[in-house]
Amino acid sequence: MATQEATGAPSAGATVPLEVRIGFAHASVQWIADRCGADLLHVKGAALDPTLVPGRGYSDADVLARPAHVRRLLDELPRHGWELINTFVYGSSFEHSATLRHQDFGLLDLHRIYPGTGPTPERAFDTLWSQRTTKVLGGIDCPVPSHDAQAVVLLLHAARGGSDAKAANDVEWLWTSADDAARDRVLDWVGRLDAGLAFSVITGTLDEHRDDPAYDLWRVAARGGTRMEEWRARVRAARGLRAKLTVASRSVLVNVEHLTIVRGRPVSRAEIVAEFFGRPARGLREQVSRLARRSRR
Amino acid sequence: MRAAYRPGPDAGVTVSDDGMSVYVARLPGGPLLVLDGAAALIWAEATTAPATGWVARVAELVGQPEDAITADVRAFVADLSARELLVPLGGDADPPTRA
Repeated sequence: MATQEATGAPSAGATVPLEVRIGFAHASVQWIADRCGADLLHVKGAALDPTLVPGRGYSDADVLARPAHVRRLLDELPRHGWELINTFVYGSSFEHSATLRHQDFGLLDLHRIYPGTGPTPERAFDTLWSQRTTKVLGGIDCPVPSHDAQAVVLLLHAARGGSDAKAANDVEWLWTSADDAARDRVLDWVGRLDAGLAFSVITGTLDEHRDDPAYDLWRVAARGGTRMEEWRARVRAARGLRAKLTVASRSVLVNVEHLTIVRGRPVSRAEIVAEFFGRPARGLREQVSRLARRSRR
Repeated sequence: MRAAYRPGPDAGVTVSDDGMSVYVARLPGGPLLVLDGAAALIWAEATTAPATGWVARVAELVGQPEDAITADVRAFVADLSARELLVPLGGDADPPTRA
């Protein structure tokens, strides 16, 4: 009859279903947001309206914070057992999310922007926030985007999913097999969120946006590319010379956070040095092999 | 009409679909507790109105005389209360121990 702490031995932890842990991850970050006055929207995963894509699985909690409130959340989360394991700049090409881990509640992706939305991160958040509703997660009321906005959030996620089967299934449910009325609602939200470029991946019209500075970023995200192409796209998409130079200099640094996760342990100075020299070489090899494939066609 | 207890102000609660497991997290930092079987039944009845006779309802559900389980039930809810996961609402919140 005694209570059993899920935080103890691994066998005890295994008795808690992943979706329960993730639900509490949402509850935990919402509790913190309520106390520090931060606005949050819970997106995808457990927060998703289950009627949108039935049976869709998830492995972490995703939240989108009002950009001006991100700093206070990053200050508060570590005080409650959340450990930062990947910062924004090394999270993805879009530099949109930081990853945190809690020993009881698992992984949390804290988004400061939602890739594809605009015209600015602040206005995109305001647009989603203005039509929010709530969903109970882990016993706590959590703000979530409206039903139709959630569909667009998933589609924009799928737009950078490449050949991922889950992304393809999302597109099938929310766009390909959607009726005209549902498509109209999706397009309405695409317009409100200034998401035309990203959504063009879904409609197969991305190449009509070649002049857009962020075109290459979406092309590489959607169709794949070498590390060098990815960094070139990031530099092209960065606004202003200073931002471009920052991105360019970062591309030759080693992502120690990422390396720590990949290796599953703290990395040594020697490993960081080896990775520093290995990455450009790997990027060059990928570039060479890609060029070789092109020349064979 | 109210229940004997309510979840603590910083408790997050999720009940499994079959009702046989209750997951209770102390927010925002944990720990995360798992209440299985009889423990889940006690949580459910303690937090369900009416407060009067809630221990008797547990006894009926587990097929035991009320006298035989009262002490254990009281110790259990006292443990959860000490963790601030349950808050007594008065009434029959503290089941008496029969002499």
